[in-house]
Amino acid sequence: MVFILGVNFPERNLVKKSLETFFGVGKIHSTRLLARFHVHPTCKIGELANKQVLDIQAALSEMKIENDLRRQVLDNIKRLKETGTYRGRRHALGLPVRGQRTRTQTKTAVKLNRMERRL
Amino acid sequence: MVSSFCWGCLTRLPSAPRALLPPTLTAQRVAAFHTSTALLAAKKGASAPKYRQGTSMTMKKKKRPAERTRPPAVGERKALRKRIVLSNPNALEIPDMKEVSNETMVDSRLRGSVLGLPVPMLDQLRAVQAFQPKQGWSIFRRPGTVVRRETLEIARLIDGISGEGEEKGKVVKKIVSGARATGKTVHLLQAMSMAFTKEWVVITVPDSQELVTATTAYAPLSDENPNVYVQPEATAALLSRTVTANPVLSKLKVSREHTGLKAPVPAGTTLEDLAKMGIKDPAVSWNAFQALWAELGAKSAAPGFEKGFQPRPPMLVTVDGIAHWMKESKYNNVDVQPIHAHDLLFVRHFLSLLKPGTGQSSLPNGGMLLYATSASNSPTIPTLDVALKQVAARQAGVRPSAPEFPHPDLYAKTDQRVLDAFDSYGLPAPKEGTLELQTLAGLTREEARGYLEYFAHSGLLRENLTDEWIGEKWSLAGGGVIGELERIGRRLRVNTA
Amino acid sequence: MAWQTSNGLVHAVHAVRRTAQLRPLSVLSASTPLTLQQRQPARGYATEGSQQKSGAAPEIDFSTFKNTPSRIVPVSPAYFSGSPKFIDHILNLEHILAKYASLPTVAPGTAPRMAWFKLLQFREVVGEPVPTKKYKSLLAILQRLNRIEPKLMPDEVQNAMNVFLRPGNPYAFKPVPATLDERGVARGKGKRKAASAVVHLVEGEGEVRVNGQTLVEAFPRIHDRESATWALRSTQRLDKYNVWASVQGGGHTGQAEAVTLAVARALMVHEPALKPALRKAGVITVDARRVERKKPGHVKARKMPTWVKR
Repeated sequence: MVFILGVNFPERNLVKKSLETFFGVGKIHSTRLLARFHVHPTCKIGELANKQVLDIQAALSEMKIENDLRRQVLDNIKRLKETGTYRGRRHALGLPVRGQRTRTQTKTAVKLNRMERRL
Repeated sequence: MVSSFCWGCLTRLPSAPRALLPPTLTAQRVAAFHTSTALLAAKKGASAPKYRQGTSMTMKKKKRPAERTRPPAVGERKALRKRIVLSNPNALEIPDMKEVSNETMVDSRLRGSVLGLPVPMLDQLRAVQAFQPKQGWSIFRRPGTVVRRETLEIARLIDGISGEGEEKGKVVKKIVSGARATGKTVHLLQAMSMAFTKEWVVITVPDSQELVTATTAYAPLSDENPNVYVQPEATAALLSRTVTANPVLSKLKVSREHTGLKAPVPAGTTLEDLAKMGIKDPAVSWNAFQALWAELGAKSAAPGFEKGFQPRPPMLVTVDGIAHWMKESKYNNVDVQPIHAHDLLFVRHFLSLLKPGTGQSSLPNGGMLLYATSASNSPTIPTLDVALKQVAARQAGVRPSAPEFPHPDLYAKTDQRVLDAFDSYGLPAPKEGTLELQTLAGLTREEARGYLEYFAHSGLLRENLTDEWIGEKWSLAGGGVIGELERIGRRLRVNTA
Repeated sequence: MAWQTSNGLVHAVHAVRRTAQLRPLSVLSASTPLTLQQRQPARGYATEGSQQKSGAAPEIDFSTFKNTPSRIVPVSPAYFSGSPKFIDHILNLEHILAKYASLPTVAPGTAPRMAWFKLLQFREVVGEPVPTKKYKSLLAILQRLNRIEPKLMPDEVQNAMNVFLRPGNPYAFKPVPATLDERGVARGKGKRKAASAVVHLVEGEGEVRVNGQTLVEAFPRIHDRESATWALRSTQRLDKYNVWASVQGGGHTGQAEAVTLAVARALMVHEPALKPALRKAGVITVDARRVERKKPGHVKARKMPTWVKR
């Protein structure tokens, strides 16, 4: 078990997949992180050297991920609402924001766009 | 004008069927004029059937319990895939089968016969991964290889290099190429078996692909040199292969000081121990390998290390499937750009041996480089094809300025590093041969006859081996391509059994 | 006809002779063979008579006709039958056959092939509705006449037979038998499915190249390799010839079997005596099957879309 940013990862998991479990780290960021610290893509958590773990942890702590990122997203939406923009209104009404059709297939918008936005 | 009551509520009135409403609602029904929430709320806990719900019995499909077998343990499937069976107890034993030895390997009378590999050598050959899983060793009683023209050629070279004649200490560099199933890998195996007979040091890279598919760890060499990379795990694996396969190493002592390893290497340490330092700690494996390489190339001992210095044996270096090393690897550098395979130090080291050495030859104590291409598992690299053609042209004595000298297509992307890797123009050290291209083709009819007779003696063929029959099979196998001959021989067994 | 069977032949010949002797000669002369050009006006009448001589006839002296005949007598005695011209032809041929029945004949297969009129053409020529069966009997007589030993063939028979020949001889064109070229290369072509192959066969030691590749590279499946070389294998010639094949189109099976056919044809140029063996091996029989085209309104060549009510 290896702790990275307070999360416990089993040793047999891939480093890449483990990094992608953080909110805000996708395929691109995980690939970049691996390349930066010279970790090959099929590396398992258990194979990481201590220094590499620390490096990755340091790099992750500099990035805006998890709650910070969530808060930023919510703040952005809130700003839209408060300035009374069209996009803000759509967020509040639970409708698609970016000009999608509303006749059908608005499940995602209905699910996510609330007054109290969920992430 | 706005109407004073809600039309929607009026229209909704008849839709609430009275019979369906539970009796507990009677008190609310009076007030339930303007709101439907009461109706909806009442429905929740009610036992009345839901709207449009069927009343017929529904048969639930029985879910089959998921099979709870354990998945195979980590590495088990790969081990099964890579398993090599070298003996078939059902095949007949051939009583007068000869083995590879100092005498038989250069005996041209044995051309076309099958020489068995000595049983004690099998462990060494297994250690250097000379056998491949799909080569059909498992249909015979014991592993053996056909002595063909190229085999005898190489045997003579190996014999000359390790002998005392003028060939002693020569370096032969060959690239083995050829169509599919023409026996390139087995050719390497034959060279290895001969080298083991002559007590050479054999260093092999059986699977070149593993080094570039980004499946082993990598790291930049140092802070000063961030653009070349070492692969500690792969190097440690190479060291461990070398140590297991070459018992000679335990007799040789170090001849100079080595820095870069964790602990200083005292005089009197065997080369085996030196290599084991790298195997134990992959972090220094590259340094250990370099130290080992320097030791194997040593011609004399440094002051202070003379005691117990023995002359180093010649070396055989083989690489299988070099095409994988001629393109960008799957590793990424810091800028997320792919690293060229030639920037991996491991690869660079083995490719640099092809170049003529500066001052002294690339293998100072003599030996042989055999690098094979692969026809079944290999990426398409047009530049490599051109490079090999250039090697052949140089071998034939065509000058690079001559018009018939092959050049890469001007309109295609050319990898100059690949061309340079095979460009052996320069002053070769004395006793160093230039790079040659050896193209393997099919067996001759006589060799094919020997091979098929081996099938017959092993009890796999029941036909009369007439000349016509053999000629027929020879043609069917595309002119004696040995892998195809084996397929045919194997198929006939199924037919007749 | 009686003389189609050999044992009835002599009887039939005698019968014909007897009837021929009884018959007045003038009847026979009336139906002398006509050349084709004379018969160009499609319909002729039996009463027209035939042109006996080409020179100018002597002037008719009408005074010699003391008694005009009470009725006009037709030239041919078959005039009142349904098809007088046809019967005249039959009688003429039977007469000729009876005359030369004793000449030696050749075996049926070896007689020169003749292009007789087809039934419809013959009806056009004689202008009469000849039944199929009767025309067949006419043809039988012609075949019998044709079997007379060609060296001894009398001109009369030849002329009589020429009447029934189609214009232009369709059997005259004989393809030039393929030969080896000056370098000893035999060339053969073959097709199968969508593939077509050209094979150059030389004497050699069993090298096979398909489109410049070895057999192994061209046909990864052993079965295909075996079928491509089957013509040589079945005759034990695989190590005596070199094959250079170029194949286009189709898949592996089609290409392999196209090569088979082409090799067999080229091999027959080298050794024509192998034909029966190759025929037995089934490599010179052309498989003319091709994929049937898809039709509009069908899902495939024949399959119809499922029938749906409404």
